[in-house]
Formats: sequence, structure tokens, C-alpha cells
Amino acid sequence: MSNSTRCAACKSLRRRCPQDCTLAPYFPSTNPQRFACVHKIFGASNITKMLQQLPVHQRAVAADCISFEASSRVRDPVYGCVGIITQLHQLILVAQRELAEIQGQVALYGAQQGQEQKRMAQSQVHQYNGPIWFTTSQQDPPHLD
Amino acid sequence: MSSSSTISSGGGGVVGGVGSSSGGGGGGGGPCGACKFLRRKCVIGCIFAPYFDSEQGAAHFAAVHKVFGASNVSKLLLHIPVHKRLDAVVTICYEAQARLRDPVYGCVAHIFALQQQVVNLQAELSYLQAHLAALELPSPPPPTLLAPPPLSITDLPSASSIPATATFNLSTILDPVVPPHWLLQQREMELRQFGGSGRSPTENSPPTAGGGGDLQALARELLQRHRSSVEQSASAQQTCTSTATTTTITPQLRLT
Repeated sequence: MSNSTRCAACKSLRRRCPQDCTLAPYFPSTNPQRFACVHKIFGASNITKMLQQLPVHQRAVAADCISFEASSRVRDPVYGCVGIITQLHQLILVAQRELAEIQGQVALYGAQQGQEQKRMAQSQVHQYNGPIWFTTSQQDPPHLD
Repeated sequence: MSSSSTISSGGGGVVGGVGSSSGGGGGGGGPCGACKFLRRKCVIGCIFAPYFDSEQGAAHFAAVHKVFGASNVSKLLLHIPVHKRLDAVVTICYEAQARLRDPVYGCVAHIFALQQQVVNLQAELSYLQAHLAALELPSPPPPTLLAPPPLSITDLPSASSIPATATFNLSTILDPVVPPHWLLQQREMELRQFGGSGRSPTENSPPTAGGGGDLQALARELLQRHRSSVEQSASAQQTCTSTATTTTITPQLRLT
């Protein structure tokens, strides 16, 4: 196989790229950095073994995930993907806190609205100064002679 | 330099870094877990010795070696300051275990699940903020999380941007959450954009579920050992020098 058709892996490893190269579909020559990251962190032989143990239809996703983990580790050698997990946890905490605040405000508003309505209803009842006999008391109405 | 003994409390595994800064196995302490697994002589200055004791360290190292390879991990640790190597080993162990547990997604499944939680929470937040505004309640200006765009892996910032003062409970963070099947397929599409390989989507099965408890147990075990080693060395002032026999662990991750 000519040099121009070698995958990024075989190019990096300076070897012939066979037709059935395990890595070729997932590490094209157009993206040498992708394989460089993966090779630095995991090693070509480990990647090959990992992919060969998977069914073909799952290898693409696995290669993408491995590539993501490798690039995360290159960017942050101490925490790698765990750094991203940490940040997401922080985002979740912040969002939950804000959510609780907003829910409190909505509940408070609802309670205030309820109290306001009750107050208005009560004031309407007291404003009506009708005849005594129309009250609920047991007094007899005056005689209308 | 006298060989330091690694501290293993009740079962080994990854231990705290109390020991020589350059590690140290061999001698009377026996080989470290890594050298035991590799069946090689554990020399004084072994880079793995402070982190993989001879009891259960070998099992942890087996996973690390299978996924990353001993030489790759060694090179990685050499480029990391000594006081941060324990954190690096813990996270490497976590990723290795996650990868063995789920050969397709590894720890990325956890990231996907958390990402989705963030999106859901922010959507709920946006809805409630709009609801509040509609109620005409004189509330303070809404926070800047209104209608956030959906997250993808390409949007996630680098882990190195975490502020140094951040403290997190690693055992909680490393608790994996199994994402639903539909989410994994959606994230698969996003990964393709990230990977840039231009492949067409392929079918994939959901990651193996139910393995979260073991990973969480691993994280807790590692942290407990680290905590016990930190507590034991807490009374003495430890400095990290080139010839120091002890190391100072100043993790950014608070151990609870």
C-alpha cells in the first residue's frame, strides 16, 4: 500500500498499512493528532486489542470515546476526564441551588396571592351593612306594624 | 535513602503518598503491587511503589496496565509533580476500571449522564424563570442560565480550568450514572462530530449497566486509604523536595 493511503496509526508507527488494518477506519490520515493523543496515553497495541475485542459495529463509538479520554488526559494529565466530571458536578450543584431558589420564590408568590385573595374576599363580606335580620343571628325581625 | 514502607490500611490498593518522594520498594517491604504484577524487581525509587501496595495494589495495577500500559503510566507520572501524583493515580485507576467495565464507553458514559442532568436542570430553571416572570413577581434579574444551549462534549471546557480552590468529594463524583440507551445514541452522534472521522452512525448497544457500585466502592476505598495516610502524616510538616523522604499531598479534591 502506498504511503498516501496509510492510516494515521500506521503512518505514525512507520509501518505498512494492510487492507484489514484494525485502526484504519477510526484513525484516518487526515487527523494525525487524534492518533497521536491515543497512542501517547494508551499505546497503539492496547488500542488495537481493545478494538479487536469489540464487535465491529461498536468500534467506532469506542474509538471516539477512547480518543476523547486520551485528549482529556493530554490536556489535564492529573485529572483527565475526571476533571470534566467534576465540572459537571459543579454545574449540577449550581443549577440545583438556583432551582430551589426559584421554586421558593414561586411558592412564596403563590402563598402571597392566596392570602391577598382571601383578604379581598373577607373585606367584601364586612362592607355589606344589611338589615340585622338578614344576619345569621337568631334575632327575630322587628314587627312592621 | 532508606526504603520507605507504603502504608496500607486493611487491604491495600492505592495508598497515600507518605513515603519517599521517589517511591521505594524492595528491601524489607517487598515489591510494590505494580512490580508484583509485572514480576520484576521493585527497585528503590520505583515510581509506582507509593501508590500500589503489595496487597491489593496488584489488582488495581492490573487494570491500569491492561488499559494504559505500565510504561505509559510511568511516563505520565514522571511528568506530574509528586504532590499531584496520587490524584493522577486515582483518576487513572478510575478510568481504567471504567474502561474494563464498559469497553465501549468507559467513563465517558458518566460524562454523558451528567451532561444530560445539567441540560435538564437548566431547562427546568428556564421554565420556572419564565413562569415567575409571567406571574409579574418583582423578582431580581434572572440569572444568566436562561435557555442554555444543549451541551455537547465539544463544549466542555478543559479540566485544567478548575480553580485551585475547588474542593470536591471524589467518591461522590466518581459514582457512575448509567445513561439511557437513547441518550447514548444521541451522544454517539456528538462524538462523531468531536472525533471528526466522518463515519456514519452505527448501531450500538447500551453500556453494561449495574457496575456503578463497584467503581464507587473503588473510589471510596482509594480515598479512605489516602485519608488515613494523610491523617497519619498530618501532625508532621511534610515538604516535597528532591531528597525528601515524605511527600505532601495537597489534593484539590477534598476527601470526606
